[in-house]
Amino acid sequence: MNLRSKFIPTIFFLFFLIVITALIVLVREFREGVAGAFLLIISGNPEVIEITLRSIYISGTATALAIVWSMPIGLIIGLKDFFGKRFFKGIFNALIGIPTVALGLVLYLMWSSTGPFGFLSLFLSPLGVALGQAILITPIMVSFTTSAVEAVEPDIKDLAKTLGASEVEAAFAILKESTAGVSLAIVGSFNRAIAELGIALMIGQNIRGQTRVLTTAIAMETAGGDITRSIALAIILLAIVLSINLIINLFQRRLK
Amino acid sequence: MRTKFGVWGIVIIVAAIMSIASVAGTFFYLQMSTRQKLVVTTTTSLYDTGLLDEIETRFESKYPIDIYFISVGSGIAIQFAQRGDADMLLVHAPSEELKFLQDNYGVNRKIFAYNFFEIVGPTDDPAHIEGLSPIDALSQIVAAGRNSTALWVSRGDGSGTHVKEKELWAAANFNWTLIRDEVSWFKETGSGMGKTLITANGLRAYTLTDIGTFLAYSAGSTNQVPNLKTLVTEGAELLNVYSDIAVNITKNPKANFEAATTFTKFMISEEGQEIIGNYGVATYGQALFYPAVDILENNSNPTMAQMIKNYAYFDDDDTRTECPLQYRYGHPELYG
Amino acid sequence: MSTIAELNNISKIYGEITAIKNLTLKIPRNQIFTLIGPNGSGKTTLLKILAFLEKPTKGTVTFNGELVKEGNLDRLRLNSTMVFQKTALFDTSVAKNIAYGLKFRGFSKNEIDEKLRSVLKMVRLEGYEKRRAKKLSGGEQQRVSLARAIALGTELLLLDEPTANLDQKNMSITEAAISQIVQERNTTIVLATHNMLQMKTLSENVALLINGELVHVGKAIEILEDTKKLAGFARIENIFSGISCITTDGTAIIDVGGDVRIEAALKKEGNISVFIKPEDIILSKNQFTSSARNVLKGKIVEVYDLGSVVRLKVDVGKSFTVQITKRSFSEMGLNLNTEVFLTFKASSVQII
Repeated sequence: MNLRSKFIPTIFFLFFLIVITALIVLVREFREGVAGAFLLIISGNPEVIEITLRSIYISGTATALAIVWSMPIGLIIGLKDFFGKRFFKGIFNALIGIPTVALGLVLYLMWSSTGPFGFLSLFLSPLGVALGQAILITPIMVSFTTSAVEAVEPDIKDLAKTLGASEVEAAFAILKESTAGVSLAIVGSFNRAIAELGIALMIGQNIRGQTRVLTTAIAMETAGGDITRSIALAIILLAIVLSINLIINLFQRRLK
Repeated sequence: MRTKFGVWGIVIIVAAIMSIASVAGTFFYLQMSTRQKLVVTTTTSLYDTGLLDEIETRFESKYPIDIYFISVGSGIAIQFAQRGDADMLLVHAPSEELKFLQDNYGVNRKIFAYNFFEIVGPTDDPAHIEGLSPIDALSQIVAAGRNSTALWVSRGDGSGTHVKEKELWAAANFNWTLIRDEVSWFKETGSGMGKTLITANGLRAYTLTDIGTFLAYSAGSTNQVPNLKTLVTEGAELLNVYSDIAVNITKNPKANFEAATTFTKFMISEEGQEIIGNYGVATYGQALFYPAVDILENNSNPTMAQMIKNYAYFDDDDTRTECPLQYRYGHPELYG
Repeated sequence: MSTIAELNNISKIYGEITAIKNLTLKIPRNQIFTLIGPNGSGKTTLLKILAFLEKPTKGTVTFNGELVKEGNLDRLRLNSTMVFQKTALFDTSVAKNIAYGLKFRGFSKNEIDEKLRSVLKMVRLEGYEKRRAKKLSGGEQQRVSLARAIALGTELLLLDEPTANLDQKNMSITEAAISQIVQERNTTIVLATHNMLQMKTLSENVALLINGELVHVGKAIEILEDTKKLAGFARIENIFSGISCITTDGTAIIDVGGDVRIEAALKKEGNISVFIKPEDIILSKNQFTSSARNVLKGKIVEVYDLGSVVRLKVDVGKSFTVQITKRSFSEMGLNLNTEVFLTFKASSVQII
């Protein structure tokens, strides 16, 4: 990679740094927010820790659930030709952008005490939020997995089979070839889950000690006027997202 | 397994295990838990004062009940109650509360606290309302508004505060539906008290606010609304009465009525009333709420008692009461 | 000579396209069997059927006497492996690529390492274990694919154009490895190619496929010499067989009959088959002096107008095919029975 091709990314990065620095210097809340974030994290504020862990747990569970049913679907759609394949792909692609508030509302109506699935007690429970997020991110995971699988050279399937693999084993060999794409599917889904507000708010209702997560806490602090604390929490959220991304990236390199 | 499924196969299997663990763990935990769940809806302005966090801590240490406070607009709070997703409502809009009782969704209304709304406005007070009665103040503001010397910010979100504002307009002989269309000076934010104050601060406008939120925004570590100051605090019209209503168990069998009753009893107990009366003194130098039980039951402050009864009591045959007989259910001890 | 696999009247149809039509063929055991034919003649499809990656639309396949059905496909696939024309590699190290198939056959880690080293040696890629397969050069990638297939030790090894797009060095290594496998192991190789020379070099028995049909099965040399069968496809022109004697200068003089002697830059003596590409022959109306060792006088006996070029058959005692541009043809005023001279270098004479 010569100097020229590093040029544009470097410019972007510098621009980004300048904006952040300007924000910190010029906007009081930003300054205080950044300082506040460090204080909160370093001091080990128990409430912040609880909220953070809960966010990770809920969105992590959501991602795990979504993996279980989305990856096989994505694999099948990517590998097989069947009637209506384009239609299904289109639907999943379209559902990626589902507004979280709308989904949250629908789920509330289903899980409300008087709703058809009220007996599951999912309303106001972390598991309910996790399940809602899992539903939210399913289209992303399916679409990305399908794309990743389709991008693999068609010969790979025959290659795996001729080397002795059964149909199922060959399918997983293809998945392995599209490791980068599949990793992206998982990471992208987790990010969407942990950063969404609509479902966490509607199903969880931001209840202290029970369903309060980073996004709902940020919304509450902002609405309540404590911008400093909001920014602090937002920084923590960003830090988590970036860390997970980094970890998965490293993991993916090692896989090869 | 490595051979057959490869890395991603393992990932899927691990994910499946995690999911099952999560789901099973949750259900198991729920089964094992000996604590009950009480879902209480509250208004944002009440929740944002922080009083309820303290009540929650004390209550949960005394009783095997986990309180889930849901801070939402009163519109959806009523929806939750109607659907049986909530067990109790904490509200401060008597007219709406009456309707709620009349629709049979709630029972056992009990008043536990009160405070006053205030009209705040720009520090230079262009409409000259300082010290006036609420009615007079509003008239001045309308005149100034139409004169382009003043602005009014309204929450416009159906909240308790907004209901109060509409009542004030009516009392001042203005037709709210018409006034709100005079958008050159009447600005509706459609949002919570905090945001509304920030907006009023930015616009240097007048607005109606509850004491708790205004103190939180102005007297905290930083004054977030330096352009606003308290202008009108006196007047029966500004009375703000808080009560709780239990969801009617006959209409919603799944409602946790017993826990709701325990909560009500706590709120009106000496301990509860003490928490309420002391809240905010340390932080703001003044209390945000006044305990209502002593005043109402023992008539310790007749003027105040009368004001409350005039505003927040309902007709029941030939008397006025905080909860008419037909809307009471079990627990007659609540009404002494 | 026993057969390892039999194809009985098979056809393979993909939608509108018939790739193979009514083909019956026996694949002999423990030798290199070549499938030759132009692109699109069905060679790859045939190999895939023998690799049990595809099933024939009609007809049956037997392997070691066993009829191939849906139920035993998975098992039989462990006995036959194919190396594709377009290199297919997993995006991982060379070692992992090669070990992939071995994992399905229950070898221990030590056994796998052992095989790994031995096949890499066979294709001259010792020490390449940890290299990323996709980052190797084209030739090295082909060799890895070959090594990967060899490592499996299957009874049947199918190679689709194994040396297409390879340079000379890679080609020799590959061809050497292929010969080595057949000699050292109990493997049968079926090789598909359109390279006529490879066909002769590596195998005795050849099947010629054109348009999905089996046109001929027999010895390599039969096909080479039967120009009618190869009409329109990689026909080699100017093939001559004769006796070669080496001269004192180190070149060979080949008497091909018809009183024609060809001087070639070759070292072989005795029975030999050679050919000269039409493009390497210069046509002239007058004899001229040049460094070229071969000058033959003859008469134009056939003219084929192919648009921008003209093909001529010139009888110099034996029939030579020469190709010139239309322009030259008319400028030189050539015609049937025109006397002409054919000139070509000794180095243009290639051995078959």
